[in-house]
Amino acid sequence: MQFWKELIKGLWEENPIFRLVLGMCPTLAVTTSLENSLGMGIAATFVLVCSNAVISAIRNFIPSKVRIPCFIVVIATFVTIVDLVMAGFAPALHANLGLFIPLIVVNCIILGRAEAFASKHSILLSIADGIGMGLGFTLSLCILGTCREILGAGTLTIWQGLPQITIGGFQPMVLMILAPGGFIALGCLLALMNHVQAETAKRKGKIIPSPIHLDCHHCTICKWGE
Amino acid sequence: MKEMLRLVLTVTIICTFAGALLAGVDALTKDRIAEVKQLKQLNAIQDVLPSCDNHPDVNICKINHGGRSWCFYVARKSGNFVGAAVETTSSAGYGGDISLMLGVTAENKTQAIAILGQKETPGLGANIETDNFKAKFADKALETTHWAVTKDGGDIDQITAATISSRAVTKAVKKAIDVYLANLQTIQETGK
Repeated sequence: MQFWKELIKGLWEENPIFRLVLGMCPTLAVTTSLENSLGMGIAATFVLVCSNAVISAIRNFIPSKVRIPCFIVVIATFVTIVDLVMAGFAPALHANLGLFIPLIVVNCIILGRAEAFASKHSILLSIADGIGMGLGFTLSLCILGTCREILGAGTLTIWQGLPQITIGGFQPMVLMILAPGGFIALGCLLALMNHVQAETAKRKGKIIPSPIHLDCHHCTICKWGE
Repeated sequence: MKEMLRLVLTVTIICTFAGALLAGVDALTKDRIAEVKQLKQLNAIQDVLPSCDNHPDVNICKINHGGRSWCFYVARKSGNFVGAAVETTSSAGYGGDISLMLGVTAENKTQAIAILGQKETPGLGANIETDNFKAKFADKALETTHWAVTKDGGDIDQITAATISSRAVTKAVKKAIDVYLANLQTIQETGK
């Protein structure tokens, strides 16, 4: 039961991109097309699940003073393994994703989940958290990637080899697949998500919940801080 | 003191494990990765060469020209020279180096180019990888073509809004052609 709860919370309630706003660097860098977003999401999910499981398994062994270096070593090890195995046995996939794999080490979602979840929970729950967060990350990346690719390039490629869909009828805005377009698309989607959340909460007569694990109480800029 | 020892020991143990694991994975995948790399280069060579019956990836002619070493892969069909492929790079790209493979034929024409590596802006400079742009370097006379983009008065149509990337590719191609023409004899004799 709790396994299921931890699994689905990453999709909406604690969505890493739209709710926790973590891992912005890879998010903005790779979402220029749906294909890249999907690849990054899958690779990051794999590393997240593995690192969560291992960190949870050794959590009682690591002294809290050196936990961050230990987490980084575990994460970097998995990233390197993924990189090497993929280069050797799935060269086509590696050609697609090669660029993004080293980026996963510095993806703060993975370190964030190690610190906030895996170091405090059992292996099974940590795996559930990893899968949920990974899927939430992948889904958000794909939404962002789809918007940016359609608006910026006028095409939609799901995966290399599959037919590319061309969306015609307008002049593609190249800006959308450049860095500024990433910020614009992310900002608009964040605003949309907050609006949807606020409306649903209002209809149910509840106050808008702040993301769990996020300390909002010292800040008074937005309504969560009250 | 005791606590410090514990901290150091923990990190050491974890790093040792990680190092051993990586060494194992590296040993398992090293040969495969090298194989894949070689295959990729061979494919790139064959993509830009006319049909041949020798092994151009081992029939190599190394030339020192302009302070760097150039490696020509020479193709032969029943003993006759049919073409050569060469890897060339330009550092004048918008996002760093652009490396590509150029193939030329015995008739002193270009055969094709293949982009090996580039970090240009997606949607703009990265369009140098499209077949449409690469086709502009196919079947052109080596000596009479003016190897520069139209904007600079040359014969190669640049990609709109990606002049710098187009120019870098053209430059890399021109460099390789200059070396090829200067060493024509040596290259054509290789593996005879």
